[in-house]
Amino acid sequence: MFNIFKTTALAGALALSAGAALADYPEKPIEVIVGYSAGGGTDVMARTAAPFIEKYLGDGASLVVKNMPGASGQIGVTEAANADPDGYTLGTFNLPGMMARTIDREAGYDRDSFTYLANVVNDPNVIVTSKNSGLDTLDKLLAEAKANPGAITVGMSSLGGDDHFALIKLQNATETEFTIVPFKGSAPARTALLGGHVAMGILNISEVAEFQDQLNVLGVATNERSTFAPDLPTFKEQGLDLVNGSMRGFIAPAGLPEDVQAKLLNAFSQLASDQEFLAAMAATANPVEVVTGDDFKQLTSDLYDLAKGVWETTPWN
Amino acid sequence: MYSDLLHALPNVFALTNFAAVVIGVIAGIVVGAMPGLSATMAISVLVPFTFGLEPLVALGLMAGIYNGAMYGGAIPAVLLRIPGTPAAVATTFDGYPMAQKGQGGFALQVAVVSSSIGGIASAFALMLLAPPLSKVTLLFGPSEVFWVAVFGLASIIFLLGGNPVKGLISACFGVFVSVIGSDPIYGNDRFTFGQLEMLDGINIVILLVGLYALPPVIDLLETPLKTDGVNSSNLGTEPIWKALPRMKYWKTWIRGSLIGIWIGILPGAGGSMAAFMSYNEARRTSKHPETWGEGEPEGVAAAEVANNADTASALIPALTLGIPGTAVAAVMLGGLLVHGLQPGPMLFRDNPDIVFGFMWQFLFGAILLVLLGGSLATNSFARLLNLPRPLLGSVIIVLMLIGVYSIHGRMFDVYLMLGFGAIGWVMDRLKFPLPPVVLGLILGGFAEENLRLALRIGRGDPMILFQNTTSLILVALTIAVVVGPTLKKRFIDGRKEV
Repeated sequence: MFNIFKTTALAGALALSAGAALADYPEKPIEVIVGYSAGGGTDVMARTAAPFIEKYLGDGASLVVKNMPGASGQIGVTEAANADPDGYTLGTFNLPGMMARTIDREAGYDRDSFTYLANVVNDPNVIVTSKNSGLDTLDKLLAEAKANPGAITVGMSSLGGDDHFALIKLQNATETEFTIVPFKGSAPARTALLGGHVAMGILNISEVAEFQDQLNVLGVATNERSTFAPDLPTFKEQGLDLVNGSMRGFIAPAGLPEDVQAKLLNAFSQLASDQEFLAAMAATANPVEVVTGDDFKQLTSDLYDLAKGVWETTPWN
Repeated sequence: MYSDLLHALPNVFALTNFAAVVIGVIAGIVVGAMPGLSATMAISVLVPFTFGLEPLVALGLMAGIYNGAMYGGAIPAVLLRIPGTPAAVATTFDGYPMAQKGQGGFALQVAVVSSSIGGIASAFALMLLAPPLSKVTLLFGPSEVFWVAVFGLASIIFLLGGNPVKGLISACFGVFVSVIGSDPIYGNDRFTFGQLEMLDGINIVILLVGLYALPPVIDLLETPLKTDGVNSSNLGTEPIWKALPRMKYWKTWIRGSLIGIWIGILPGAGGSMAAFMSYNEARRTSKHPETWGEGEPEGVAAAEVANNADTASALIPALTLGIPGTAVAAVMLGGLLVHGLQPGPMLFRDNPDIVFGFMWQFLFGAILLVLLGGSLATNSFARLLNLPRPLLGSVIIVLMLIGVYSIHGRMFDVYLMLGFGAIGWVMDRLKFPLPPVVLGLILGGFAEENLRLALRIGRGDPMILFQNTTSLILVALTIAVVVGPTLKKRFIDGRKEV
């Protein structure tokens, strides 16, 4: 409780000292639309980041998180995309999900509907196997998949999400074939793995960190070892080019006034070096990778192309 | 581990932490008692506020609300035949007839004592047996969970009494409603008519409020001048210490607690299925089953003990595996995550003071229920029924509208609820049972999703559904439920002829 007071007081003090030098924005509370319910991973990211953004915006800025859950985040992101581009409505953004939804259904937005502020979380995919499967190394897994195409069942959180794209990449890179079992969410998939009901799983690193003793973690889909779990090897180290993950960040509607956009970008870009923020994110199991502005837009575009490519060869519905 | 348990105790008694549980229980009872407001909703509203609270204050509030709401749902179920929460549907079976016979006060006392006993049993299961019970959860893969859902549906259709054909039709309607929304595997839209609001399917509270609350309100308003001589002015309440010796339901309480705990550790089914199964079992083994449904206090005890016995036990898979046993547990997981408490085997080791403190709070919440609920229910809420009928009906309608609107903050849900209300009213008039609709919605989606997952795991071979002992036991139980009543009837008729 005291921390919040401290942060507020700090933000207030900064605002007072810097107030005169800044232009008008923001002169009223800024709403952040979260497309999921309170307490979910995206919500926790938004609420953890909010006081820091307030601090860096200065001028007594206040961010109000508004949850609009439903349709896997579609309702919230559509609302944010269609809001007035005045800087008083921001939204959270999930990749590759938000882009995949523009491909597999009719969406009320596309990749040009947004001003890309910052991607904050990058939760890389991991491949895990159940202890009773006997497939405790990547080589054994791939050998079995080649010997018996389709015999290995793969639990994951959904079709058309990051887990699914990681598997497609794996299948393409190694010319193997697996049987996909899409659960509703990653926790049921992980439980089925623990119970040995599926042999293999594609999850995210934050979801398996607590279960390292109960599952075989075969590798992490990052370029370099994740600071989140540095003892886990990457696929690259094992000679497999597989990089993929689930990302969460912040957007605003397209067409923000330039000065407002500059101020927001400036505030979001400072998150990456704020030790207090990084500590708060680590405490809630969120691996941070801040990507801002045009780089974030490029990242989104790349993921869209990937999803589009997958959809054209192997549509998931 | 048991020393951690004791070590966590002193902190639970810190003034703010204990006050949180007390406030939570009271708030839970109030929320549960209002048709349309549920524990799930109250805790979701609370989660954003808990960012600024000490973990044990936040968790104490949640534990209190959960326990309180599971009993609170019984209040309108007994007094008005409107279940305040999905789990209180089975409480209406005997609770409302008791109220009509002028025993509403006793029914509420049975409900609060049974709820409390169920809650205490469940808290002990959570405190002492969480790790071994989570291993039981792991036995249930998609094919086993599919059979649990089928077993639940079969029980509700064939054991509830009345006409099984009508029960089957009601259940089919519930299962149909469960199909609305996006396909659980591929995500295709089904019966959504292009509405984003329909994509997540129909929220159980919308269906429950529409089906259950609207028809009685229409009845209330249909005969505005008639007064309920018996049911409103005289609840027949006597002090709880005088009522206690009349409650000799030990067998039902033990059985109901075990059923509730068992259902709690299975993912997804939740309090309503626990209450139905406990009610069915208690009636089946009763010496005088003919009095059930006419105002048998033991029926209220059976339902209420079980729906509270699944509260803490639903947290066993939630805390150890990250899979919530009920919708409320799912929201509570969010509350834990906010405080950096990641579910998993490490949770108990890394944060023992908070986790075990939370468990103690569940236990104290359940105990406080008798003290707080006993006085609140029989005094304050009972007065509600002395209101003139048009006023009472209007108040309930307002609560329903607010409750349903606040689930997602949209009018669309309110219109849906009114639509279900119209259907519910017609079904009620045609004597179609309503409980199978509720269970059909809860278990239908569950059965479908797990059947399809199981078939994918078996790569299309249906034999995957019969491949292990757990599945086969559930299949046998289901068959017994379906053919049992008929065989029993034949047997009895046969003996009569001799």
